[in-house]
Amino acid sequence: MNYDVLIVGGGIAGMESALTLGDMGLKALLIEKEPSIGGKMVLLSKVFPTLDCASCISTPKMASTIHHPNVTIMTSSEIRKIAKNGDGAFKALINRKSTYVDNNACTGCGECEAACTVALPDRFNFGMVAHRAAYIPFPQAVPKKAVINRQGQSPCSNVCPAGVKAHGYVSLVRSGRYDEAFHLHMEDAPLPGSLSRACYAPCENACTRSDLEGSVDIRRIKRFMVDHYYSAHSEPEYGTPEKLSDKRIAIVGSGPAGLSAAYHLGRKGYHIKIFEREEQAGGMLRYAIPAYRLPKDIVDRDIKNITALGVEIETNTNITSVASLKEQGFDTVFLAVGTYETWKMNLPGEDLDGVMDCMGFLSKANTGKISDLSGKTVVVVGGGNSAIDPARLALRMGAEKVIILYRRTRKEMPAHEWEIQAAIDEGADLMILKTPRRFIGSNGRLVKVEVLRMELGEPDDSGRRRPVPVKGSEHSIDVDLAVLAIGLRPSTDSFTDQLKINRNETFRVNPETLETNIPSVFAGGDGVTGPAMIVDAIGQGKRAAFYINRYLQGESLDNIEFDSRLSIADKYDVLSNRGAISKRMQIVAVEPPPSQRVKTSEEVEKCMTEEEARYSANRCLDCGNCSECGECIKACPADAVHFDMQPEEIEIEADSVIVSTGFKLFDAHLKTNYGYGKYPNVVTAMQMDRLVSPTKPFNRTLRPSDGKAPDNIAFVLCTGSRDCTIDNPICSRVCCMYSIKQAELIMGALPLADITIYYIDIRAFGKGYEEFYKQAKEMGVYFVKGRVAKIELVEDGNLSVFYEDIDGGSGPQQMEHDLVVLSVGLLPNMDALHLFNNGDRLEADAYSYVKEINEDIDPTRTSIDGVFAAGTTSAARDIPDSILHAGAAAAQAAGYIHQLKASR
Amino acid sequence: MSDKRRIGVYTCHCGGNISDYVDVEQVRDAVKDDEEVIISKNVMFACSDATQQEMIEDIEREKLDGLVVASCSPTLHLQTFKAVAQRANLNPYQYTQVNLREQCSWTHRSNIEKATEKGVKLVKAGIARTRLTEPLTNIRIETKPKTLVIGAGVAGLRAALALADLGLAVFIVEKESEVGGWTRKWGKMFPNNRSGNDTIKYLLDQVKQRENITLFTDTELIEKGGNVGDFSIKIRMKEGETVSLDVGAIIVATGFDSYEPFDGEYGYGLSGVVTLPQFKEMVDKSNGSLNFNGHLIKNIAYIYCVGSRQSEDGDIENPNLYCSRYCCSAAVHTASCVAEVDSDINQYHLYRDMRTYGKYETLFKNAGEKKSLFIRFDDESLPEVEESNGALIVRVNDALDGGEEIEIGVDLIVLVTGMTPRENDNLTNVLKIPVGLDGFYNEIHPKLRPVETVVDGVFIAGVSQGPKTLAESVTSSLSAVSKSAALLMKGYVDLEPFIAEVNTDKCTWCGECEKSCPYGAVEKVICDTKEVAAIIPALCKGGGVCIPDCPENAIEIKGYTDQQIKSMIDVLAKEVA
Repeated sequence: MNYDVLIVGGGIAGMESALTLGDMGLKALLIEKEPSIGGKMVLLSKVFPTLDCASCISTPKMASTIHHPNVTIMTSSEIRKIAKNGDGAFKALINRKSTYVDNNACTGCGECEAACTVALPDRFNFGMVAHRAAYIPFPQAVPKKAVINRQGQSPCSNVCPAGVKAHGYVSLVRSGRYDEAFHLHMEDAPLPGSLSRACYAPCENACTRSDLEGSVDIRRIKRFMVDHYYSAHSEPEYGTPEKLSDKRIAIVGSGPAGLSAAYHLGRKGYHIKIFEREEQAGGMLRYAIPAYRLPKDIVDRDIKNITALGVEIETNTNITSVASLKEQGFDTVFLAVGTYETWKMNLPGEDLDGVMDCMGFLSKANTGKISDLSGKTVVVVGGGNSAIDPARLALRMGAEKVIILYRRTRKEMPAHEWEIQAAIDEGADLMILKTPRRFIGSNGRLVKVEVLRMELGEPDDSGRRRPVPVKGSEHSIDVDLAVLAIGLRPSTDSFTDQLKINRNETFRVNPETLETNIPSVFAGGDGVTGPAMIVDAIGQGKRAAFYINRYLQGESLDNIEFDSRLSIADKYDVLSNRGAISKRMQIVAVEPPPSQRVKTSEEVEKCMTEEEARYSANRCLDCGNCSECGECIKACPADAVHFDMQPEEIEIEADSVIVSTGFKLFDAHLKTNYGYGKYPNVVTAMQMDRLVSPTKPFNRTLRPSDGKAPDNIAFVLCTGSRDCTIDNPICSRVCCMYSIKQAELIMGALPLADITIYYIDIRAFGKGYEEFYKQAKEMGVYFVKGRVAKIELVEDGNLSVFYEDIDGGSGPQQMEHDLVVLSVGLLPNMDALHLFNNGDRLEADAYSYVKEINEDIDPTRTSIDGVFAAGTTSAARDIPDSILHAGAAAAQAAGYIHQLKASR
Repeated sequence: MSDKRRIGVYTCHCGGNISDYVDVEQVRDAVKDDEEVIISKNVMFACSDATQQEMIEDIEREKLDGLVVASCSPTLHLQTFKAVAQRANLNPYQYTQVNLREQCSWTHRSNIEKATEKGVKLVKAGIARTRLTEPLTNIRIETKPKTLVIGAGVAGLRAALALADLGLAVFIVEKESEVGGWTRKWGKMFPNNRSGNDTIKYLLDQVKQRENITLFTDTELIEKGGNVGDFSIKIRMKEGETVSLDVGAIIVATGFDSYEPFDGEYGYGLSGVVTLPQFKEMVDKSNGSLNFNGHLIKNIAYIYCVGSRQSEDGDIENPNLYCSRYCCSAAVHTASCVAEVDSDINQYHLYRDMRTYGKYETLFKNAGEKKSLFIRFDDESLPEVEESNGALIVRVNDALDGGEEIEIGVDLIVLVTGMTPRENDNLTNVLKIPVGLDGFYNEIHPKLRPVETVVDGVFIAGVSQGPKTLAESVTSSLSAVSKSAALLMKGYVDLEPFIAEVNTDKCTWCGECEKSCPYGAVEKVICDTKEVAAIIPALCKGGGVCIPDCPENAIEIKGYTDQQIKSMIDVLAKEVA
């Protein structure tokens, strides 16, 4: 695209230049990094010395700019780089950020804003109030379009193997929208009940709060949300989808992977049949996880989420042949067989009665086939979660003694620490550095285990120190039952002759598509990954469903990304951007004492109360800003919100460039002796301007600490200007006048307030300014010549201002005020200096403003021929001067373009 | 108009801004049964692209000949909906904006019922007006690609160069025989230490190189006729010869007068009391040492704000209340130049507020490092100057030291004089542009239109508008260039047709309207042997002051006819049924 002029920065100067050039008949492209043009001026209250409403002056300019036939604006866009071509024109690469809203469709109605569940500090109100993550920047924004503030994906959602939007449902619970939270979960994973009990919750490890008081209790919040929903809905609210496809899918295994795939495919209307070897569906959920952790009615209810879609489950059917399924007319097969087998230890006596493998024991115990172990001694061999579960189950079945035998130390145990501790609390003996050597029977029945002591040697491949047997340390333990939980093995035995199998006995698949060596046959879950967590298996099922659907639709499986997530939000950015984060402790989970809980197989963990759940959800820091709860998508009447919208890189050419990137405000935190950020009633003038503006954040002018109407306000001039201690020796030109303006406005809003302005020199130099200053003095604004040394907090949030009374000659003084406004200065926006390639360096002056190389007779011209600086890019300027300067930049650019065109 | 009108009415929610306080559905329904209202709709945001598109489709499908949008203030979206009408091939002057937000919902937040009642009336009034609208056409004026620049100081010369570089012809008219104004007279100027004289030489040289610039010195503007884009100008040269020029735009860059202190003001008139421009000339001409009347100068006092920031309550007639902006920086810069000539000179600066704004702060700092001493005096106790035994003494209460009175004996007193508006009454009368309370030319709006005047096509540049530094003057003159170029490069201007119209049947040419018009837009013409008033379209601003002055009720403003206004009043005054 070719333009006559590229204008960088859509504040008042950029708009003025654009409009003027547009009126000359030149084509201008205006780039603005914010979602609205208007810059800082439109946020101001009234402007000196005429006291016109800033919006009233800005909005018509903004409207003219966007409607001007010769002006194109690009908001939420940034310059990557600008380089000069050989022919004198400039080539610019522009990054148009994704706002996740289609501006052509958005009507600016604000429905998304109302629906959004995330509140963030409102930049346009300088952090005094919140705006939503889906928001319209401010009421007069141009274009008046919504923007979704997504700064990467929140860590909790990002780490979930099943792609469950943890941040999303947490923010929905926080807003009291529990059903919506449940439905959001169901978008990604259909077994929320099981996950809410038995998920190992990688989200909580990733949670940014875990670096503070402890992570948000995401899983328990989910538990609340699920219980809340299930108690009201014993059946799913939906039935078989309408558009039924004629394609048929067979799924082998009804564990989490199989159920997840069935659910996602079922929603698409496929005919699905799940074949299950066992008596009941659920796989590990039913047979491995003890009821005290995962009640079986929850598993039943979870499974209804799948069967309600018309998915059939045929139990007691062991499938051993893929070909037979094909023969039965299935178009595709998904093998989700799990890891039901246990590795053998190959020890003498391993086949004795009384020696069981982990899954054998667990499935019998969980289905009541073993229920009483009174008086028995049980040894569990292994250190993973699959060892803890049998130990704790055995205790609940009355076992007199339960021993967990592990060959390394507790530190090396793969089981979760809290699980180990729970087992010990409930009475299990942990015997570390021991390994069985043989099982000794009597009449074919186990009576003893001979055990060998170990010590730790050199680290092995896994980084853990290898256990080495201690010679001669054999001794035996009397036992009635031994459970071998040394690791689970994929149930792939039946398919070794049909499909390619890896050395670890898992199916060999394409890791992206989960396709096996036979097209149309897919495999996933533990049978592919080896023993993993429920949520991993659910993720596998979802992935398989995605590719199976493509396969059945005849679409290519190559070069398509199944799960495209934003990159993870940076925890440290979050912690530094959120301002003061108040301390909020975790809710401690109350469990019955171990002595009681072993007496019953009832669920140990109690559900959070509504209050607890909402409190806990409120601890969320909204790391990625947007929680991806999707409420905005649903709320938008114009279907304008698209989370998959991508940023664009646009290349344009222009004959001339105007840099109107404006200024930065001095960061008042840097003047530490003024207490900004520490004392709530010390505010910046920009905040004060918002407080007195027609679109003020509160209905009245209030002080922040307690909402009191202030009645004794101080302005501290030259905060960040004329001050070598913060390295800005020059004057910011506008602070005297805007402070006087604010003083006059406050006198209107709060007629009883006393206002003191502490100054060094009052610089009322522009047209009508001196008269304006005089007017303020006549209105009763109290002017004190003297620089403020420091500000201290006194009672009731009031502040003591220490200053030198120069005119009164009484030396150092202090005065109490109930609100202090720091009249912060202007600093250069140094972004401007990096717009151009190194070959064409935009020179800066001694204060890092863009340098005007001959300001006396060639104002706005910079060190690069054809590049002009407008407004506060080259110096602090008030609005009238900025506008004049922008007009001059337009004349200069037009002249340059005219000459350039003539020379071509 | 006998035919029934076909009007579309769109009542906007403004996302709650209106609908929270006005029952917009009730408003919609209150007018929907009007037989001339074909469409009455509620819309969430009338201004959104989607709704605009919907309006266009409605207008085209239903062949609407009138549009009423009841939303916000016309200042915000009048142009938006005019454009909508235009895109739908509806004459934009057959659309009426009803301000339901600023004039209704926002002002009556506490009473929805009454606000709704008012809303209904406002919309009905809008419909009433729309019924009486007629298609109007903008007045298009061809522009002359030439600009007249008045004043050949730094602002005028620079403006001329910039215009010429845009391919526009320029005539510069300078009253003096030499170009360059004040700048020509000065050596080193702040902040860049470039010689003013050199700057003017350079600019003049550049002007001479451009064929499309014509410079007239010793020449004055004596007549201005015509209108924006097409002015007829008459200038008179020294010899009395007059020349007529046709130009499209005029840039006024007439500069300033330096304040001339009255006799006795801070000792002015005494030997050794000089103004800042006089002193600058001394410093510029000094050669190794600074002397006055043959004596080496050892001590200088500067008194700031002479002729600026004057008190209203004192004895000065027509005091200058304003700050002259450049003088603080100029004085401290001059002090640094003095220190370069003779670093032993003691310089005492008696100031009120040191207004070395922005980067000029460094000038202040530099002077302070070179034997300049700064003494602040209060507005209430000004310094006094007296001569005693041939020596000059300044007395001042030092505000920085608790107001203690100090006495300084000096060899020279520099009155830091400000800028005053050029005495230019003739020119001001010819141009008919207004001056502000401070006597400088007035812009329309300091932010929206800082170089434009109420006379379309006449722009003000440099210090003619108010005190400025050199760079600021040039900046403002280039800004004036951009506005005049925007006017001329397009080749035409479109003026809104809301101008007066004379009913020649009723008019008896009494001349009252001609007298009342501040823009000279009325002329006498012969119409069918009868003398009547006629309106010059390009000059008429539609101000309407002629209308009440017409004894025959023979004048109306197009687009705002009496009939239209009355129809609106009738509706508003009626009870809502």
